Parts: sequence; structure tokens; C-alpha cells
Amino acid sequence: MPAKRTAMPPTAASIASYVERNAAHVKQTQQHRHHAADSLREATYQGHHIVVRTHYEIEVDGRSLIGHMGVTNDGHVHYHPVPNMSFASAIDLVKELINIFPDDFTKKTSRRKRGARRKK
Amino acid sequence: MTVTRSNVLINSVARERYVRGVTLLKAEFTGPTTADLGIAGPSRPVSTYDLFVVWHHTAMSTMTPPTQDDRNAAHRGPVFCPWHRFMLYQLELNFQRVLDDDTFGLPYWDWAADGQQSAARQRRSALWNARTLGGSGNPVRTGPFRYNAGDPTSFRVRIDADVNGQLVQRDRGLRRSLGSQIATLPRKSDTAGTLGLTPYDTEPWSTSSAGFRNRLEGWAPPAAPALHNRVHVWVGGDMLPSSSPNDPVFYLNHCNVDRIWEAWLDRNGRRYLPLQSASVSLRGHRINDHMSSLISASMRPSDVLDMRSIYVYDSLAV
Repeated sequence: MPAKRTAMPPTAASIASYVERNAAHVKQTQQHRHHAADSLREATYQGHHIVVRTHYEIEVDGRSLIGHMGVTNDGHVHYHPVPNMSFASAIDLVKELINIFPDDFTKKTSRRKRGARRKK
Repeated sequence: MTVTRSNVLINSVARERYVRGVTLLKAEFTGPTTADLGIAGPSRPVSTYDLFVVWHHTAMSTMTPPTQDDRNAAHRGPVFCPWHRFMLYQLELNFQRVLDDDTFGLPYWDWAADGQQSAARQRRSALWNARTLGGSGNPVRTGPFRYNAGDPTSFRVRIDADVNGQLVQRDRGLRRSLGSQIATLPRKSDTAGTLGLTPYDTEPWSTSSAGFRNRLEGWAPPAAPALHNRVHVWVGGDMLPSSSPNDPVFYLNHCNVDRIWEAWLDRNGRRYLPLQSASVSLRGHRINDHMSSLISASMRPSDVLDMRSIYVYDSLAV
């Protein structure tokens, strides 16, 4: 059975027109702020209904991370700005975020040990 | 006309036309601006290529339904295969337009063939040499997508997603880190192992599901990240965030993913789940639901189940 409907060949004008039509939804997703992540996991076991609620608030250097985060039933955490990975723990997740988004985390220089003298 | 999608490492003409098409779409501005799309900073025109980046990011920022945090409008659920097929189809039409060549078919990267090699040889695949896509770098400095700060026409990442999942403006080179996060690509036994998996998808229609879709996407065992997800992680750099279409290899990956789905359909029948009679909580994933769109009219999974009158693959030996 061939494709039920093929797409109209695009033009520069059609692209601009559709983007204008759909731009409101793009803007709406840009407004998403998730200062906390609340996950709800449910399972049924031997007739018993299990509910696990998890609340995450993540900060790095005192600054909140506000991307959308979730926890799946196997306990792995995932973060929507990194869509192809899941992590065994929230700490592992955040360590990886620091690697993946270098533009968003100022590189920290190592601090001299307390009491160490600067060489003259 | 039915076009043929071929192996990027075998068909040099398709490879060269693909690179040319990327360059043309990066240089085409049809009118939409960053301000139109709610992207902070000075308002700048957005290229057609970058509109695909925005589209992909927006789809995966759309939870389906909003009351849960796993499934979204392009990933982690049944619509993964048809939505990316829809995206590739739109890209191919735009390539045909800017190349003035309605015989052009998107090439694919048979990454499982590379995955048969040693880890070291995978990083040295012909795909990553200067005549093809270029290699690792921060920024990438080889190949047609190399960065040259002094040349405003050299390839640049203009829009990406930041750590908070917001689209932001950039002016930097492409980033790749082949084989750093994970040492090896999927193997032929992994891709072949998907073809006998049925059904296409099943409850809970998420990253916990059994069935073909979740295995191909890469959430199911063995050893997640697997298959599609594994390729993203193996390439690294700009292939990791939700703005991953910034790297032109994104489409070569997804063309292969689509090829695997086509091989599955060919073997198991043009069947899709969930049906339209499924719960409204699966809106966006059912066979006749409209899929997330940005630059064109929407399509439904049913519209893209059989594309053989539009394109075929040179081989379904996945």
C-alpha cells in the first residue's frame, strides 16, 4: 500500500508560512522552567499498589538547573536536554551535564591549599 | 519519482551532494527569526538547516501527555520511528529543492558495519576523514564542516540547547568527540536482532516497553545506550543535546535507523501500534494522530508507513 499522503514540495514561502503558524508552540516550550522535578512512579505487585514520589532540586555552584528531569521505574534518572542517555544517579547526571554543556559552566581553576605561599 | 537512499561510504555522488545540500540549507534564510521563535538575544534570521534543529528540540520538549515525564512528541514512545521518518522526508524534499535535483535520496551511515571493527578502527572510519565529514574536535577543524573563526562562511553552530533545555544563540564551531563517552558502536548482531522483535511497540509505550521500537531507539537491553542512542553517545559533542541535528551526521544516523525500521516493516508487515482506538493519553503517538511539525503541514504515522513510492533503500541488509 503506497503512502496515503505525500508532502507538498516545500518552497521558501511555504517554510516561512508554516513556521509563522507554529512559532507560538516553539515560544511556549522556551518558557518551560522546572525549578524542581517531581516524579511519580507506580507499580502493582501481588495485588498491592505501590506509589513512589520523588522530588529533585538541583543546583550547581548555587545556581538551579531548570531543565525537565524524570525518574523511570527502574530508578534511572533522565534529563530532557540530554535525550539519549539515562543515568544511575542524579549526581552522575549532573557530572555529565558539566561535561556536555561547557558553555554553561565556567571552568573552575584549582585552589591553592590553605596556608601555601606564592613563590616569589 | 522513487529515489534511492544509499550507503554514504559507497555512493560518493550522494555523499558529495549531501555535503553540498547541508551547505546550501545553512545559507538559506526564508524569513523566520530568532525573535519569532522566542530565542533570546538580538533578533537574527534562522537558516532552513537550523529550523530543523529548532523543530527537533521543540518536539522533544513537548511531553505527551504533559502530565508524565517520559514520553515526548518525538522520542521515548511509539512515534519515534514515524516522526523521524517525517523529519527525514522533509529534509530530503528540501535537499531536492536547493540542489535542483529530484533524484536525490538521503544517504545513510551503516554504523553497525563500522561497529564490526575494533574500537580504534571505528574512530578512523572513512566517514570521519577530511573528504567526508571530518573528525573529532572542539571545534571540528577537518572536513567540509570545519570551523574557521576568520571565515564567516565556514560551518557554524548558530542555535543550540543549553543545560536548562532552552534554545540559545551561539557562534561557534561544531563539536565531536568520537568514541569518548562510549568506546564502540552497535554491531550487526544488534541490528539484526531487532528484526524479529514483535510487536512494533507495547505498553507502557515508553522507555520501559518491550518490542521493536524501544530496542531500536536504544533504551532496552542489551547494554543501554544501545543502537540509535548509542550512536549519538559515541559521536558525542553536539550529538548529545536535544539540538543534535546541528551535526550533519545526525541525519546519516537517522537514515540508517529508518532503514532498519523499513527492514522490519518489510519482514513483519506494515503494522503500527498503538491504534487510534488506544487511550487519549497516547495522543501524538497513535496511528492517525498528527505529529509535531514546524516547517510543513503535519503528517500521521499512517501516512509514512509505506514510503516505497517515494524512496527505497539500496539494501535492507541491516
